[in-house]
Amino acid sequence: MTASNSAQESAIKIRDLRVDYGEFVAVNDISLEVPYGEVFGMVGPNGAGKTSTFKVLATLMEPTYGEVSLAGIDIMEHTEDAREILGYMPDLAPVPSDLKLWEFLAFHADTHRLGNRRQRLERVDECLEIVNLTEKRSAWCKHLSRGQTQRLVLAKTLLHQPKVLILDEPASGLDPLSRREMRHALQNLARSGATVLVSSHILSELAEMCSTMCIMNQGRILGSGTAEDLRRTLGRTERALTAVVLENAEALREWLNGRDGVGEIRADGKRVIFGYSGDDASQARLLTELATAGLGLKSFKEEESSFEEILVQVAEGNREP
Amino acid sequence: MSQSRHKSVPFWMIWANPIVRRYARSRLRPVTLGVWLLMAVLIAGFMFFGIRAGAARTGMEDIDVARLPLTALLIFQGIILFVLATGQVAGSMTAEADEGVLDYQRLAPMTPLAKVVGYLFGLPIREWVIFAATLPFTIVSMWQGDVPLRIGLQLYAVFIVAGILYHLTGLLAGTVMKNRRWAFLSSMGLVFLLYTIIPQAAKFGLVYFKYVTIMPVVEECISHLIPRRAGALVDTYQSLVPSARFFGLNLPQFVFTLLSQGVLIFVMLTMLWRRWRRSESHLLDKVGAVGLFGWVQMVLLGNSLPLIETGELFPSRELGRRFGAIARINPATWKPDPGEALAMVGLFGVVSILILWWMTLIITPNYECQMRGWRRARKIGSARLPLTSDAATALPWVMLMIGMASYSWWTFARLLMSSRWFVGYEPSAWTLPAMILVFVTGGLGFHALLESRGKRATGMATIFGGIVPLFVGTVLALSSERLAAAAVWLMGICPLSWPVYGATVSIPNDDLPRQVAKALPNAFWFWQGVALLVVIKLMIELWKSRRKIAEHTIERINTA
Repeated sequence: MTASNSAQESAIKIRDLRVDYGEFVAVNDISLEVPYGEVFGMVGPNGAGKTSTFKVLATLMEPTYGEVSLAGIDIMEHTEDAREILGYMPDLAPVPSDLKLWEFLAFHADTHRLGNRRQRLERVDECLEIVNLTEKRSAWCKHLSRGQTQRLVLAKTLLHQPKVLILDEPASGLDPLSRREMRHALQNLARSGATVLVSSHILSELAEMCSTMCIMNQGRILGSGTAEDLRRTLGRTERALTAVVLENAEALREWLNGRDGVGEIRADGKRVIFGYSGDDASQARLLTELATAGLGLKSFKEEESSFEEILVQVAEGNREP
Repeated sequence: MSQSRHKSVPFWMIWANPIVRRYARSRLRPVTLGVWLLMAVLIAGFMFFGIRAGAARTGMEDIDVARLPLTALLIFQGIILFVLATGQVAGSMTAEADEGVLDYQRLAPMTPLAKVVGYLFGLPIREWVIFAATLPFTIVSMWQGDVPLRIGLQLYAVFIVAGILYHLTGLLAGTVMKNRRWAFLSSMGLVFLLYTIIPQAAKFGLVYFKYVTIMPVVEECISHLIPRRAGALVDTYQSLVPSARFFGLNLPQFVFTLLSQGVLIFVMLTMLWRRWRRSESHLLDKVGAVGLFGWVQMVLLGNSLPLIETGELFPSRELGRRFGAIARINPATWKPDPGEALAMVGLFGVVSILILWWMTLIITPNYECQMRGWRRARKIGSARLPLTSDAATALPWVMLMIGMASYSWWTFARLLMSSRWFVGYEPSAWTLPAMILVFVTGGLGFHALLESRGKRATGMATIFGGIVPLFVGTVLALSSERLAAAAVWLMGICPLSWPVYGATVSIPNDDLPRQVAKALPNAFWFWQGVALLVVIKLMIELWKSRRKIAEHTIERINTA
């Protein structure tokens, strides 16, 4: 075992990871580092390569090539050691139909050898409480709803207090309240030193719970950083500006037409929306001129790219790294 | 952050294995277990008391009365342990894989061997408990029937080892097969085959196969398990039956059975261990597969060769001894028939080629595996794949197995035909080349097809080049004598017929109908010639396809 928890080392380190299914390249030579204590999001449309990446990280799949280490442990060389510190929650989490909730968790506590029988059962109850399933302790796993099953699997994932948590679409099937609880649970875990890697195809959802994230498409990472960083780098290259005038939108439209940097113009009542490709300084000059042009300017606003818009563009292949 | 953990549970601590404990929880719930136990005890009790009560009224002595229920009880225990438990293992394993639980279970920080052992003893835990519940009846029967302790221990040692072996086949079927019903049926079918078809092969010279069942040990112990008068008769008969022979060694049946089954248990554990360690792995690595093939060839020869000179290898001898009057065979003047020897040589070849194909199927990489191996090799700047890696071509290993198979088949045929029973019979000069050719065309052809075109193409070739000609030829042969020669030509297309045809080419036999005797060598050499050309073409294709993958991976890596 080569684990070390040094401040310099990343909790998750991926180098040149590649996953092929025959001719199809699911993950195309990606590299990524996630520091300790971070909630890191991976977002991308279906088929982007997120689940394949997660399966490799969870030691469930051998990559074509590449190096992956979790908390300093090379997962290909020391798979058993990596599994000790790893918690993985798949997107469609299976639970056995022949066990009750506490039995399911007790079994996994047993495989992780969490102390004696009493300590294991205590930990089972703690985790059931974290995911709000205490009252279902003696229910059969097969009788849980989709959301409850997700929560049970999250409890199983938290059972051995893993250093690295890998959660594939954990919020799918959860109601808004459960999502909020999950978000808090993950943030608490990160505060206690665990590193969380979480995936979703809903960017805004990740933006709420992750400190940093990356966008993946067609097996490649297109960009990474904070939510704002991503918006800047992957959002529209042309800003969308909206000007609202008191009366004559048509006059404003004519005024804008043909000016440097102004793209498509659309008038909507007293509102004019237009694309602008100039820099911040030229945009400031344009605003000054507009304000003094006597067109009755009431307000002026720069629209930001929404996360969903970014993701749609990424999925359509409109953004390449 | 992590809690303190106990040391990992060693694989041999079955009672502490989390997977065993998990199934103990779910499969030994009091109500369900109670019903099963009640049924088992009722049936066993009915056998025990019913048979004893009936026998006691006939005036049998107490010891004989006590022994009488033993056979029925053993059969009942066999059904529980061999049939129900094996089916349970295969079915549950596939169900777990189906539901995705198995993939999830891979993440449990236990060694692959501990996981295999956990499933092996956990899944059939209810059947083991039911089996244990029937044991008091056999213990009382043995105690009152004056059965020596040694016999009881031998019998149950083999019973338990065979049970584990069959459960492992179920576990393997459940791990490899995608369909729950198929896994259940195939493991059931295997146990059925072991006790019905396989013993017949054992009578035709492939003595080894009987050691994968419990029959040799039951036969060795049976005189103590039945009423004494019948037991004495069996004893007399058994004085003629040899102990297990392995080349020059004379071993008790019990020891050789345990050895044979022990090796198979080891092989299956290795296969499952590899699959649990890495789900994409071949069931055996190349060295392991060739080693297993070599072992099987060695035991096939080692068990059969010592029985040639005594005549015990020949089925007609056994037939004459048991049913001399009915079969019109006089044991005193008995002599094996050359046709019998020919069938034995043919069967040896057929079984060898079947095992060769099985091993080839295990070690031959598919397209995806080759591609992955090449890309990995390219990434680390290697120009070739390691010879023993899963992605490497199986060609040299198949050739090695072809060499082993040809040698052992040749040895078997040569020693059989040069024995004292067939004075004057000399294998023809064509024997060795014919035998090598059969394995080269059959073995290399199968491998080249599999590696270059994949499983689907090989399956289609098996159906249209193997099964269809064989079935149509058989129908033709049965419908009219005039069509016999045509049937011989048609069946000659099937690679499974080649060892039989090869044997008839090598060993002259006057008993064959004239037209068949004439058609056989012609059909054999013609189809071997055709097969050789096909093999050469397939080998060229294989070479090209591997080269294409190797070059393709360079391009893909460079453009990545």
